Amino acid sequence: MSSSNTLLERRYAALGLMLIAPTVLVFCAVIIYPLVSAIYLSFFNIFTPTLEGEWVGLSNYTELLQTGQFWSALGNTLIWTIGTLSLQIIFGIAMALVLHQNIWFRSLARSLILFPYFISTVVAVLVWKWLFNDLYGIMNHLLISAGIIDFPMDFLGTMPNAMVSVILVGAWKYFPFVVIAVLARLQSIPDALYEAAKIDGAGPIARFFDVTLPQLREVLVVIILLRAIWDFKEFDLIFLLTGGGPINDTQTLPLLVYQEAFALNDMGRASAYAVVMMAIMLVFMIVYIRRTRSEGGS
Amino acid sequence: MAHLRKILFNLMAWSIVLAVAFPLFWMLVTSVKPQFELFRRPPTILPETWTFEHYWTLLADTNFLVYFRNSVILSSATTLLVVAVATLGAYSLVRFKYRGRESLAFLVLFTYLLPSVVLIIPLYLLLVQLGVSNTIFSLVIAYTTFALPYALWLLRSFMAGIPEDLESAALCDGATRMGAFRDIILPQLLPGIISTALFTFILSWNEYLYALVLVNSDSSRPLTTGVMNMLISSFNIEWSLLMAASVMMSVPLIIVFAFLQSYLTRGFGAGGVKG
Repeated sequence: MSSSNTLLERRYAALGLMLIAPTVLVFCAVIIYPLVSAIYLSFFNIFTPTLEGEWVGLSNYTELLQTGQFWSALGNTLIWTIGTLSLQIIFGIAMALVLHQNIWFRSLARSLILFPYFISTVVAVLVWKWLFNDLYGIMNHLLISAGIIDFPMDFLGTMPNAMVSVILVGAWKYFPFVVIAVLARLQSIPDALYEAAKIDGAGPIARFFDVTLPQLREVLVVIILLRAIWDFKEFDLIFLLTGGGPINDTQTLPLLVYQEAFALNDMGRASAYAVVMMAIMLVFMIVYIRRTRSEGGS
Repeated sequence: MAHLRKILFNLMAWSIVLAVAFPLFWMLVTSVKPQFELFRRPPTILPETWTFEHYWTLLADTNFLVYFRNSVILSSATTLLVVAVATLGAYSLVRFKYRGRESLAFLVLFTYLLPSVVLIIPLYLLLVQLGVSNTIFSLVIAYTTFALPYALWLLRSFMAGIPEDLESAALCDGATRMGAFRDIILPQLLPGIISTALFTFILSWNEYLYALVLVNSDSSRPLTTGVMNMLISSFNIEWSLLMAASVMMSVPLIIVFAFLQSYLTRGFGAGGVKG
């Protein structure tokens, strides 16, 4: 009996391997191979148009650590990530609390809030470029008629405006993610907790800090890690809004990799940038992965 | 008193919602204004003259329809490929026991978080060497790099939510493992498959970086880079035309939103933020 059981188990294991085989195959071809290859390439000097190159050892790495551009890109990446992430979190929680209430046409409100997250970054950028337009944009018109500024403002071409604009558009585009995740968690907080707090005489603000926030803690950690990883590697939004400019003042690491590989035509150097960037992200990724796995895999 | 507070709260809530949605409203309004009305000071909130000329120009005089067709082919192909592979893979990862299964699940999550700029240079070299660069096919290959880990991760959590008893019962009744998969698991997994497919489709529809690097001929460009090119290459920017393009580009999303929203929210909960 036991031998037939193990036979069945073995056959099941073989079937399991067969089912995962296509996945493994695709993974090896389009993810593992390029990943290893990126690390390998970072030891070369490769001229993009001809794709010819020579082994240069670690010099890509030593050079990049000495150039100011890497450090300023890293600084920009951190400013962008921290700025947009905190706005996403604060605004996301606030919006989730509002949408958790029984407001009129709640599902319509929810769809409207979700929409920026699902539209293409290209669409978002086109719309915001039009809003930000210096001559005919509605932003300048509104700010001038409200008396906040006297002359049309250049939102994307000067500093610090460009960084602030990019951070704000990023927050607008990605805060719905926080809203939905927090909203889902809010709905599962038992009402009894709020009742108990009410009986103890806690006002709405005290209830938020004593009941809601502790209940949200777990999900917030996960959201912050995920969003930090995604914001850190964001390319489309910044590239399309400012292209890294003015000069290089909004150039983040992903933009630097792109520039190095496809504008300055040095794929080896670009790979080195990419590998260093990945090494920095690895810290967040490992924390996130360990968290998800300790929760039992789902 | 409580009534008044409720009204005030609603007004406040809705003004925030409308402020967030304003850029999208403005996109719609701009796309139906005649060109000269855009330069009006102060701007008109609702168009004085409604016109659909920009939509006609877009369809008749630009490459928009080609880009649109390319995007439909590209996103559908990616979605079909990825969902098929990931459904089998997720079934294997959740319901079978073999060595290396745990490390595979770890690898999936890792690649789900991996930045595209790391993979893009070797992928570019690989696709050039294979001689398939500049084709829609090359983009399908590139898109699996982010779509497959994503779909696997989503489907894995959907699969984990299906009770094991049903499958065991079918196996006791003499069903084969694949028979049980077809008759028991697949029907139960269908909502999960639909929302995974929707998300994969949206991800592919919106992708920009790979399309920018891998394709530079108008015949195989998807919408994202195609429409962006209309901005960059135009001598004087026609904002109404660009807004019309943006609206048209978002039409599939609006359809998904209107009819399949419950699938979207379901997928959202499963996508790694299950606290």
